[in-house]
Amino acid sequence: MTESTKNNNRRKVLIGMTAAFGAAGIPFAATPFIAAWNPSAKAKALGAAVKVDISKIEEGQIVQVAWRKQPVFVLRHTKSSISSLPSVETKLADPNSLAIDEPYRDLYPTRSKSDEFSILAGVCTHLGCSPKYHPEVEPKPWDATWTGGFFCPCHGSMFDIVGRVFKGVPAPTNLKVPPHNFQGSILTIGEDKEIT
Amino acid sequence: MNTVFKWFNDRLPIVNTFERHLSKHPVPKKVNFWYLFGALASVVLIIQIISGIWLMMPYQNTEEGAFSSIEFIMRDVDYGWVIRYMHTTGASMFFAVVYLHMFRGLLYGSYKKPRELVWIFGMTIYLVMMAEGFLGYVLPYGQMSYWGAQVIISLFGAIPYIGESLEVWVRGDYYISGSTVSRFFALHVVALPLMLIALVFMHLVALHEVGAGNPEGIDIEEHLDQDGVPLDSVPFFPYKVLNALVGIGVFMTVFSIIMFFFPEAGGYFIEKANFEEANPLSTPEHIAPVWYYSPYYAMLRAVPDKLGGLIVMAGAIAILFVVPWLDRSKVNSIRYKGIFSKIAISLFAISFLTLGYLGTVPVTELRTLMSVICTAIYFLFFFLMPIYTSLESTKQPPERL
Amino acid sequence: MIKIFIIIFSIYSAPIVFSAESAPCGDYGECDDYSYDLYNNESLQKGLATYINYCYGCHSLKYSRWGRIAADLEIPEEILFENLIFNQETKPGDLMTGSMIKRNAEEWFGVAPPDLTLVTRSHSPEWVYTYLRTFYEDDSKQYGVNNLVYPGAAMPNVLSHLQGKQVLGCKEVPVIASNGGVKRDENRNDITEEKCGYLKIKESGELTQAGFDSLIYDLTNFLVYVGEPAKRDRERIGWYVIFFFITFTALSFLLYREYQKDYH
Repeated sequence: MTESTKNNNRRKVLIGMTAAFGAAGIPFAATPFIAAWNPSAKAKALGAAVKVDISKIEEGQIVQVAWRKQPVFVLRHTKSSISSLPSVETKLADPNSLAIDEPYRDLYPTRSKSDEFSILAGVCTHLGCSPKYHPEVEPKPWDATWTGGFFCPCHGSMFDIVGRVFKGVPAPTNLKVPPHNFQGSILTIGEDKEIT
Repeated sequence: MNTVFKWFNDRLPIVNTFERHLSKHPVPKKVNFWYLFGALASVVLIIQIISGIWLMMPYQNTEEGAFSSIEFIMRDVDYGWVIRYMHTTGASMFFAVVYLHMFRGLLYGSYKKPRELVWIFGMTIYLVMMAEGFLGYVLPYGQMSYWGAQVIISLFGAIPYIGESLEVWVRGDYYISGSTVSRFFALHVVALPLMLIALVFMHLVALHEVGAGNPEGIDIEEHLDQDGVPLDSVPFFPYKVLNALVGIGVFMTVFSIIMFFFPEAGGYFIEKANFEEANPLSTPEHIAPVWYYSPYYAMLRAVPDKLGGLIVMAGAIAILFVVPWLDRSKVNSIRYKGIFSKIAISLFAISFLTLGYLGTVPVTELRTLMSVICTAIYFLFFFLMPIYTSLESTKQPPERL
Repeated sequence: MIKIFIIIFSIYSAPIVFSAESAPCGDYGECDDYSYDLYNNESLQKGLATYINYCYGCHSLKYSRWGRIAADLEIPEEILFENLIFNQETKPGDLMTGSMIKRNAEEWFGVAPPDLTLVTRSHSPEWVYTYLRTFYEDDSKQYGVNNLVYPGAAMPNVLSHLQGKQVLGCKEVPVIASNGGVKRDENRNDITEEKCGYLKIKESGELTQAGFDSLIYDLTNFLVYVGEPAKRDRERIGWYVIFFFITFTALSFLLYREYQKDYH
């Protein structure tokens, strides 16, 4: 082995080590800059769970509350609307919410922790508009056989009264159910110690 | 791939520019550590720009929000404290590096023909940096921000006739208010950084046109090889880059020690009074500027007249611009200059450091006297430069590095 | 010549803004030594409890959040809420904005009690530690107490029942000769003189002096923490960063020396 190839090898090793060590530092240097974009402690505090008194909500009524500045629908269903839920299932893409991470699967047909309330994130799973609630059972411009539910004005996605998505609409999945908890007449949205 | 690259290169001189300024650019093969501070200054500039952009996001440029948004950054933003301390440490380190870089220029005659423009662009960078640092220091809207700004803006009041209305105009209010903070914010984050970047660009283009100097102060262009490359030079890449890398490593070690263990640097980098929100009704007991302005602040206080103080302070910076024409010496480097130059530059350095100290401590009679003497030495260094540099006998520098 | 004249003239006419620097701890002189210990969670927790019980009624910590303190000091949130948070509406993410309305406070105290989140940074831990231990009885003042570190402090000494009643007294101290040694008489006894302005406990309180000092130590320690909650992380991460750059410097130095062979 000549002197120059020996030197060349030494150079290659040193270049490799210096470059690798320097490059290893980059993710660490980037960490503060990436982490600084996370929600701040203030945003987290403002996004903490909200409490709603549900004793005033009448059957068939919908209340919109804000959690993390996002609309959340709290619906109190009538007995008849709950019993009619299976009949709409043929129109649905995912009636049992198998495609999403459903927090309260197989508990009640309302998809919530209550047999008469539904708690739904009012954010369309398509591109984030807020769907409108149309409880009337009557022909609508978007669906001649409408039996009540949510219709998104942005791109025409349709959901039933418990937020399950229809077949053949742009929205890919059912409306999300946020974590929640009932304590008497107080509903807490955004926090559920039992599932987290 | 090659055709795409060729397409671009035919329209934009990528290869040429890269080789001219970054890879093949010839640099003197033997320089000392004094020649690292330029590279370090550009490293700090990048640190300041990136951390500054990130600080801008959560910062609020309002009277009510400014101070608490700083604490918001320090507490509520994930790793916000890293970014803020990076910026505050960076500000001081920027000045430290630039002062050393400037002193290198004085030592080795880096301003002498043909590098006058390099020096002037450099001095303009320094001037813009001083403004940038001042504006930035106002933004946290703490007590020292407020009263420091109060003092500096009051200097405008020394200008005859228009002074007082100028003060109000600069503040946009009758005191340093949210209006002042928000206009300073715009200047600090957009206007002056744009100027800085443009000036740094011109500083470098001018430097690469005439070539870098060396501690011997000789012209390496006088001995070329058959390709026209100076014999005493090495290409910028990889030789100078590796040299700079070692410097950057040492510098960043020092930087991290300060940033992670002494971010306030005993009140010199972040002053204690700035942990109190601005209160226009109560002046802190002792107002001191940040260390990098303190020599000029000491000069200001040494003159018992408002306008006079302003003129002395401005003159102290202005005179640096004309140094290339004050130095009449036949040689560039202090190594070959005569004894008078050596004494003069030593006295100058000592008096500048003394002024720096005096500017941070409260005034006493003795200290005022010292400030006056040091200010006099500062100016005499420049005023007498044409005389002592042309009269003294110099040594003959070597032909080659 | 004229220049020298101007210089001499300006020395004498320069306004003397400050005649002397004041001592860091006011009339007390040098502050007492203090070194914080941010890894001592027990001390920090005790400090928090003292703060909430005695200080928080008037002094907010408005940049700090309850939940952050609970997490950093390893206090379970339930325990924090049961023992130290008296407002039912408070949520863990809330700022510690205090319970006093600013306008009322100004009526009661003349000035609103300052927020203390950053007090150890705008003064120093030593200052806070000394200040809290140097209240003394002074009937001429509104609250019957004065303070050596901060004379004229418009604040009652809420801790006096713990510390006891402290007064300014005089004591015999050795006379220091001009050479720095203690002056002695012909029998080699120290010459003493009476000097005043020393603090002494007139009536002892619920705590011993050491007990009270340790209470204030913990309180100050907590205030150091709350002044910069990230300090612990900062100093921990700092070691890794420094190690990284030292290693990087060493590697690049080897590389630099290797390439230097080309032109030396």
